[in-house]
This record gives sequence, C-alpha cells and structure tokens, in this order.
Amino acid sequence: MVDRRLLPHLDFPLMAALLALTLIGVSTIYSVTFDLRANQPGTEFWTQVYALPVAFAAMLACLMIDYRSLAQRSLFLYVALVALLLYVTFFGAVRGGARRWIPLAGFSLQPSEFARLTIALVLAMYYGDERRSARSARELITSAIFVGIPFWLIAHQPDLGTAATLAPVFLGVAYLAGLRLKWIGTAAVVLVLLSPVIWRYGLKDYQKERIATFVDPSKDPRGAGYQQIQAKITVGSGGFYGKGFRQGTQGGYGFLPVAHNDFVFSVLAEEHGFLGVLLSLGLYLFIILRSLDAARLARDRVGAYLVVAIISGFGFQVVYNITMSAGLAPVKGLTLPLMSYGGSSLVATLAGFGLILNVRMRRFTN
Amino acid sequence: MLTSGAFEERRTSEGRILGLRIIFGACFAALAVSFWLLQVVQNAKYEEEASNNLLRTIPLRAPRGVLFDRDNKVLVENRYSFTIAVLREQTKHLDQSLKRVAQITGADEARIRDIVQRRQREPPFRPLPIIEHATFAQVAAVTARHLEMPEIVVQQVPTRSYPAGGLAAHLFGYVGEVQDAQLDSPEFSQLEAGTIIGQAGIERVYNSHLMGTDGNKFIVVNSVGREIEELKKQDPIDGHRMQLTIDYDLQKALEDGFKANGYAGAGVMLDPRTGEILAMTSQPEYDPNDFANGIERTKWNSLTNDPLKPLQDRLIQGRYSPGSTFKILMATAALSEGLITPDYRVNCPGSITLYGHVFHCDKKQGHGSLDLRHAIEQSCDVYFYRLGSMMSIDTIHAYAEKMGLVGKTGIDLPSEVSSLVPSSEWKLRTTGERWYPGETISVAIGQGQVSVTPIALSTMIATVANGGTVVTPHLVKAVDSGSGWQSLAAPAPRSVFPIRPDVLQAVRDGLWLAVNGAGTAGRARVDGHPVAGKTGTAQVVSAAAAKAAGHGAVHLRDNAWFVFYAPADNPTIAGVVFAEHAGWGATAAVPIAHHVLETYFAKLDKRPLPTVTMGADGVIKTVMAQPAAAAPGLPASQPVPPTPGNPAPVPAGRPASQ
Repeated sequence: MVDRRLLPHLDFPLMAALLALTLIGVSTIYSVTFDLRANQPGTEFWTQVYALPVAFAAMLACLMIDYRSLAQRSLFLYVALVALLLYVTFFGAVRGGARRWIPLAGFSLQPSEFARLTIALVLAMYYGDERRSARSARELITSAIFVGIPFWLIAHQPDLGTAATLAPVFLGVAYLAGLRLKWIGTAAVVLVLLSPVIWRYGLKDYQKERIATFVDPSKDPRGAGYQQIQAKITVGSGGFYGKGFRQGTQGGYGFLPVAHNDFVFSVLAEEHGFLGVLLSLGLYLFIILRSLDAARLARDRVGAYLVVAIISGFGFQVVYNITMSAGLAPVKGLTLPLMSYGGSSLVATLAGFGLILNVRMRRFTN
Repeated sequence: MLTSGAFEERRTSEGRILGLRIIFGACFAALAVSFWLLQVVQNAKYEEEASNNLLRTIPLRAPRGVLFDRDNKVLVENRYSFTIAVLREQTKHLDQSLKRVAQITGADEARIRDIVQRRQREPPFRPLPIIEHATFAQVAAVTARHLEMPEIVVQQVPTRSYPAGGLAAHLFGYVGEVQDAQLDSPEFSQLEAGTIIGQAGIERVYNSHLMGTDGNKFIVVNSVGREIEELKKQDPIDGHRMQLTIDYDLQKALEDGFKANGYAGAGVMLDPRTGEILAMTSQPEYDPNDFANGIERTKWNSLTNDPLKPLQDRLIQGRYSPGSTFKILMATAALSEGLITPDYRVNCPGSITLYGHVFHCDKKQGHGSLDLRHAIEQSCDVYFYRLGSMMSIDTIHAYAEKMGLVGKTGIDLPSEVSSLVPSSEWKLRTTGERWYPGETISVAIGQGQVSVTPIALSTMIATVANGGTVVTPHLVKAVDSGSGWQSLAAPAPRSVFPIRPDVLQAVRDGLWLAVNGAGTAGRARVDGHPVAGKTGTAQVVSAAAAKAAGHGAVHLRDNAWFVFYAPADNPTIAGVVFAEHAGWGATAAVPIAHHVLETYFAKLDKRPLPTVTMGADGVIKTVMAQPAAAAPGLPASQPVPPTPGNPAPVPAGRPASQ
C-alpha cells in the first residue's frame, strides 16, 4: 500500500538515531530497576521492552498514509481527542492524585500524550493549507483557541507538565508562520510584569512550593528539595567516564526517586559519565537538526509546519527534562522522550517521528 | 512556478528554520557545558555526597573489662542485652514510628518520646536506643515488622552485669552515658556523646582500663537503610580485665552482717601489711544494674530523695566522730611523748573536773584506779580526759597525722573526703578564734571537733596492727591488658611512723584486753584466733539534746564503732565497722565484725563458711556451719540459665592462676 519508490527516500540515519536512543533508554531502565534481591530485571524493564515494537509499528503506520490526508482529517482527530480528554476528566483512572489514564486491555492509555500530535496536525492544516499567517492577530488567536481547549482539559487532570508541552508546539508553528518577533518580546515583557499576579492567583500551592524549593532546595532537603539535590549528586558523581553499567549507587540503591522515569537521564549520566551524556546529547541534537532539515525540504507548507510543530514539542521536552535531570530546573513530571519509562509516551513520540519521516519521504511526490 | 510572494515566503521560512536550529543548538551547547561543570569540574564534591548517602558507620560497643576477686571469682561481667533503637533518618514520620513501636512492644510511649527528645541533637543516622533490655517478645514483634518499619532496629549491646542485691555497689560504682560536661574534660574529649563510661567507684577510677575501644562496622546501605554490603570491620577491643583485692566471701559476710541488722553504716576489712582491701561496704546500697543502660528517672529520684542516702559512700564520704576508738591514738601519743608510762594510773570516780567543768565518765559509778592497759580495756573516759589535759591539741593533731587520721587516705575511689582532727592553727584559720584547752578534753575521747571517715580510721588501726606504717588502702591487685596478668605494685605507704616497741606493746595489750578481758568487745572473740579491738559509741548530739528529742528519734541515736585486727600477735586483717545510729558499739558494731572474722578464719582453716542470723536478744549471731554442709552459694558464679529475655553471659576470660 505504500509506494515502493518511496523507500529510498526514507531517512535511515534519523531512524538509526531514534533506535539508538530508545535502546540506551531501555538499558538504563534495565540497570536502575534491576531487582537486587530477586537477581532479575525489574518488571518496568519488560514493560518497556514490550512497548518498543508497538511504538515502532506506530511509527511505520504513521509514515505509510500520506501526511496530507491525515492533515485533512485532523479536525476529526481533534474532536476525538477532546472527547477522550473529556472522558478522562470524568471517568479516567486516578493515579498519584491525577486523573490521566484510561485502562485499556491490561495497558493504560494516556490520551494527553497524543494531544501534541493532533494539535500538530491541526496547526499544520490551519496555517499550511489556507496560507494563513501568524502575522495576522485574528488568525493567531483562532489557532491559539484550538490549542487552548485541550491545554485547559489536560491542565485540569491535573497535568500541567504535559499541558505545557503544547505551548512549544504552538509557538514553534506560530514562529515559522511569521509571528512578529515584536509580539514575542511584548508577550515576554507582559508575562514578567504579570508574574506576581500569576504567582498569587494562577498557581496552586504545590506548584509554588516546587518553584520555591527550586530556588533554594536546602530549605526542604528531605521533602520537595530532595529530588533536585539527589539529581545533582547523581549526575555530579558520575564523573567523566561514569561508574559503569549497573554500578550506579544513586539510582540503583533508590536515593534518586523515579530514576527510571523522569530522571532516567540522571542515571545515564551517573553510570556512563560525561561521555555518555555527550553521546546522548549528540543523538538528540542530531534528531532535532535532521528533522528541521525535513521541514526545510518539505514539499508543501503543511509538511513543514507539521514537522516544526512536532519537533518543537519534542525539543522543548528533551531540553527541559535534561536540564531538570541535572537539578538545574524545577522538578516537573515531564518524561524524557525516547528514553524514559512509559509506553504511551514512547508510542506517541515515535508516531510523531513517523509523521516527520513521512514528510521527508514524500518531499518529491505530488 | 514560484511567485515572488511564494519565494519571499520560502526565504522567510528558511530563515526561521535556521533560527530554530540555532536556538536548539544553543540549548544543547549550554546543556553540555552544564554537565561538564557538574560531572568533571565539581565531580569530587558530588562523589563525596553520593558516598555520604550510602556509607554508614555502625559503632560496635566494646565489652568493659571483667572484674575478678582475689580468688579469681568473677564479680562484674557483661551480658548481651537487646536494645531496640530508632534510625531517625529512615523515617519522615518519626511521631508515627514511635507510636507504632510503643504499640507493638507495649512500651510506654511517653517515655520513648522523652528519650528521643532528650537526644535530638545527635546525628540522625545514629541509632537512638529507645527500649533497653528488650524482652524476647518485644524483639520478635519488631523483627517481624522490619519491612514495614525499616527505621526500627534491634541491636545487641554488651551491658554491665553486677552481682545481685547491690553487693559492693559503692566499690564497683556504675556506668552511664558520658555527660555533656564530661565531654569537655581532657579525659573524655575523644568520646562521642552516648558513650558509656564509668561514673562512680572502680568503674570511674579505672575507666581507661575497663572501657576498651569501641569498634566500627562500615557498610553500604540503600535509600531505605538496608545493609547491602559490609566494607570493613574494626572489631571492638575488650576492656582490660582487673583482679581486685576483694575477697568475695568476706565481702558477702560483711554485707550479710549489716543486712541481718538492717543497719546503715560502713565497714572495711584490709590487710594491714599491704593496705589491700579485702571487703568494703557502705549501707544501704543501690543496685548498679539499674544504671547499666541509663537509669530511669523515677528510680533516680527515689535514690536521691531517700533520707538514708544510698548513693553516698559512707566509707569514704561520710565523716563521723570516732568516739572511744580515738583513745588508741591518745594512748599512743601520750606514751610516745613520754608524758606517761603504761603503768600511769588515774582514779576514776565517775567524773573529773577540768578547767572548771565537770566531765562525766560513761560508767557513772566510776572505774576506780586504772592503768593505761585497763583504761583501754574498760574504755574509761576519765583516764583519757586526764591525758587530754596533759597534751596540747597540736600534739594530738600531730599524732593523728602520723597515724593516718588527717586528710585523705588516697584510696583508689573517687570523691574521698578529708578526715579532720583539729589543731589550733585550723581553728584560727576557720573561725578566727584561738583554741581553748577545755576543748581538748572532748577531743580526747573522740568527740567534739574530731570527724573522720571510716576508711581513715581503718588506716589508723592498721598502723597499730603493722607497727607504724600508714598504708594506702587500695583495691586492685592485677590488670590484664591483653598480654596476661600484670601485678600492680601496691601504692607506697602514706607515711611511716615507727612506734616505739614498748608503746606499741602497751596499746596492743589494751586492745587485746578489750576483746579477751573484761572489756567492751567480748563479742568479737574467735576460737583459736586472738582478736584485738576497741569499740566506740559516739554521740551524734549532746546527751541532753538527745534526751530532749526523745528516744524515738533514730537520727539522734549514737553511732556504733568497732576497730580491730587479728590475729592479735601477728595481724593479717584489720578493719572498721561503723553502724550509723545503731547505739552501742559492743552490740551493734562488734557482732558484724565478728561474723567477718569468723568467716575469715574459717576460710583460712579451710572450714565451711558460717552464716549469720538475728539472735533472740536483738544481737546478730554467727552460726557455724557443720563440716559436712556446703559452703554458701555464690551468686556471681551461679550460671544464669540463658533465656531469650536474659541472654547468656558474655564468656569471661578466666584469669590465669597466680
């Protein structure tokens, strides 16, 4: 069903980089969740291993159908997404105080993970197909409303972290669509001026606490500041060459909480040192630059916007998570795409790259 | 078919894509630099912090040195006891943990909280003992919930174990945690808070020998404190074993004597040739076991508020008028000064008037005419009033000093007080007044300003027994610091005062008569072993005041004394028995000494040891054992059956025979 002539145009280096990072992720999860007492890999490792083929299948599925036909149906996807989010809001499974999951045949589906893709398609269609431009305030605001609805729904799960990843998707597309830099500057100034008001009325207590703790983690070294302090120790103690595979003490002995998930990069830094960090950072940067290349080469505006939308969200999340994993950003429940434990995240991320590969592969077709 | 507009647009979008590349490139460069700073530049700091996370030092308490008696009988040893402790760093909810522990062990929650509160300042990774001497049920309850409560741990700690019933409590003393104030002293500055040190008695004086060196275990733990591997272990080094001069059998006999009467007081038996203490006691006693792992507040309060002051060591910390026992010194002084000969006679009509004041003899009808020997035998006050009138107080003071009755004896126990025999210089210094000769008269019979410790009085009688050497009483014979027993040289005598043989003979004759003649100490006689001694009955207040207070006032009753040595011709044992507010020396103090002497000689003759019982006349009696009967049991050597709550004793090394 896919044209065989398209195969040579598939971006194999990008796929290799994606595979490499997911494998690094799986090996780090193996190391940190290894059950010392039972002397066998932890269940998280196997869950992640099972998610891998599913995710790559999702990627292949996303590159088979022409991205334009997907974009043209993006409104349906959008409606479906909002419906799912509404369903989660009322009927979703509660874990850790947040209602985010839909239990589904033994797995649990996190619809918010797929919000970014749908938004990317909607925005690509909105700006690409009709030659709309973010130079127009009216069109910018209309697109902002499209993003705003799922943002609000996800933020109320509450999962402000995932919701926040919609912002770079929107900003990336708007930037490419000619958003006036003057507006960005103005928005930044307004945001700074309004920050006391936001602090007073916009943030919940636990969010304020997180930010306060970030500024001075020693204020609460056993509570909220603990993760940040331990993250720094984890990364810093890794040194240049690292402590070695399964030799990490911070992650392995449980001093760093959720080491296999949000802080998987800290563990990588501990066990494989600065060398491992450089390698992984290089792979991530390669993926981002290679994807931006796909945007530049795209056959049409829809493709370019689609790629930029996806890669902006991806890039933001990578940069934020890695910064956080070194204890340099407030602790936020944001996973590291490709490496962190979590099936939904992996599937959604690779599905996104399926679309990017899709755009690049079809750059010459009409 | 690019229009110019489309071309323009493409150029814009290419520029913006380049912008995105630059933004991401810059972000990643910044990240790389940050990681380089953390991992390479600051690596050492974070490596250390990671080590702090997972390395723990577990102190291993060294057992204190075992104490043996002179026959190598174990007196004080160590037992392992279970201690339930809390690791505060392992819990975020200390309150709940404590509540839960109290619940499952049935311990008093308020008390546990109190302990934790008191030691709040200690580092959180050090286990805080909350239940000491835990029972097997408590240990099992905690162990079963280890997964649920990793912060609660069970430790095995060597704990001091003293003989039951407070035997020789003041001699051994007790151990306790080092006090904050003590940590400032050079002796203890190396120690950490919570270390157990000797706080009284032998435990305190020989702490550096007995304490041993605590060991350490260095382990790796995970985030919930579970031990993952042991890196290194420094075994604790046991404290030095010590052999005391104490003879367990005599010690027990002495205490049995006091306890049969229920008297408070003090007693000491020593070898007059060396100053080795064979037995010593202060009554009432306390139980040093109560202190072994921290004393409970209520128990401490009851000890400190007890009107009988069980914590005071009367032997070395109590000062009393020696009464008639002081006449030994008076006789020695008068003879040595050449003021009288042993044949010097005084007529005792029952009283004597000196310096315009009438002084009464104890015997109202008078003793008639007496020489020195019989004055000692009969304890005639008038005779010694006369001697007092012939001597200056400073002469008496000088002889008191020569015979060990001034100052401290130098016994190896803490907080000994100085004995006092007045001098004119002393009075002028303390009151600003000169000494009146009339005051010397009551000093002559051991009343007035004379106030001595029982231990000082024992060195006085030992000086008479050995012919003029003021020995230094001491308690340790040998020490084993790990390389076998090393005898400890006896401390040098305080002074030597060569008593003229004729003087010595006359005094000794008097003391022999007091026991074996018509004297006051007849109850001290031991078949086949001549005993010599002198009783004393010292007024606590004047006779008139005592009468005014009524006879029921126990604390105003006379103090009873007996000083003695035996065998009379070649003494190997000397001693003092002091029975507080017990009345007559002859009936209160002499029978206690008699029981010890019977025991001493029974042991010497390898006969079964006697026991003591209260007689029908209100005076205790020594009951001689039948030759077939077994010797009385020895609590210290009785094996205690190991039970979970009362684990087996730490094997004590057996001292090599000497």
